[in-house]
Amino acid sequence: MSNTQRKGFNTDIRSLLKHQHKKVYSICRLFAHSYKEHQYLFTNIIAAASQNIRFRGTPANKETLLLQACVNMAALHMITLDVQTVSTESIDFKSTDYQRAMVALHDSMENVSDYDKFRLFLEFEKVPTGQLADLTGLPSGKYGRHQPAQRKENEIPKKNFIPYIKEKLVWS
Amino acid sequence: MELKKLQQQWNSFPETSMEERPVLSSDLEKIVVKNPLSNAFYLRKKLLTRIAVFSALWLVNTWLLRIQWLGEGNDLYLQSAFFLLLTYAVYFHLRLLLFADYPTLLALPLIPFLSKLEIILDKYIISYKLLSAVTAFGLLVFFEQLLARWSPSAYDSFSRNSWYKWLLIIFLAVSLDILLLNMAIPRYRKLLGTVRKYKEGIIAKAR
Repeated sequence: MSNTQRKGFNTDIRSLLKHQHKKVYSICRLFAHSYKEHQYLFTNIIAAASQNIRFRGTPANKETLLLQACVNMAALHMITLDVQTVSTESIDFKSTDYQRAMVALHDSMENVSDYDKFRLFLEFEKVPTGQLADLTGLPSGKYGRHQPAQRKENEIPKKNFIPYIKEKLVWS
Repeated sequence: MELKKLQQQWNSFPETSMEERPVLSSDLEKIVVKNPLSNAFYLRKKLLTRIAVFSALWLVNTWLLRIQWLGEGNDLYLQSAFFLLLTYAVYFHLRLLLFADYPTLLALPLIPFLSKLEIILDKYIISYKLLSAVTAFGLLVFFEQLLARWSPSAYDSFSRNSWYKWLLIIFLAVSLDILLLNMAIPRYRKLLGTVRKYKEGIIAKAR
């Protein structure tokens, strides 16, 4: 890849991240409890999105890869919080308005599961809820029921030449 | 109703204060090259280090095995077993590294991503068994080489007692395994349990 092409591609990632970074703010709002967590999650999502786009990006799927980075990094963030023994549930922001809004939001979502938070995130960001199945990899659900049937029509059965060796070589 | 209320709250959300907003423009260059996975989830460097060390040991072992083979030495079986173990250890770690495929890991959908993380952590925990066996063999071979230089007569009598050597290897391997079970593995076990629990929670909610 020539230098100009690489530069152009990086410029593409940069402009996409600059245009779409409010989506990252939104997921941080749902999953972060403090300024530090917000910073940490934000930078990790941006890094994950740029990595996804660099290695898997095509002109058509960049936004999906950004959303994928949002969902996966938010899940990892929650897992990390769960592993840590110190509780970080209290909301802690310096700006009083933001603190008040965050407390109100987290109070309203007290018993909402992470899966439902992902659904809310897509709803608030006006992303078609059917995309949740693609982002989570769960074939069916309340919002993805139509998808398996569609897939079945388009699906070409894969030939499994050496199932024994495949089973031995691929951990799944 | 609840959703409407949440939507209203969401729409009236104030902007993050400038002080607390993560800086995007100037930091972006640094952020995009940062590794998004934290230390416990990112095992690439650890796996590469192990592969490099095992490969170096494999080369030394091949040389020692050749000497034993040509001279019909007493350690032929021991060196052969160590050779097989090292070959398998390098294969296991290489396979795990290739399977993990860290650059594209985060592009997977959530459940396959969590499942893959689970497998990586599970195999990494198993790899500690290999590590303790390789260390036990390595320590014994190192001890033998030292003994051969310092006291050839002691080495001669030691190398003839193959039963003692095998017992020593088993003792060392089990001791190291117990040590690692209590020192290094609990952290990864806890992480694996949390990933599994989280994945099951998401699947249960989606049904």
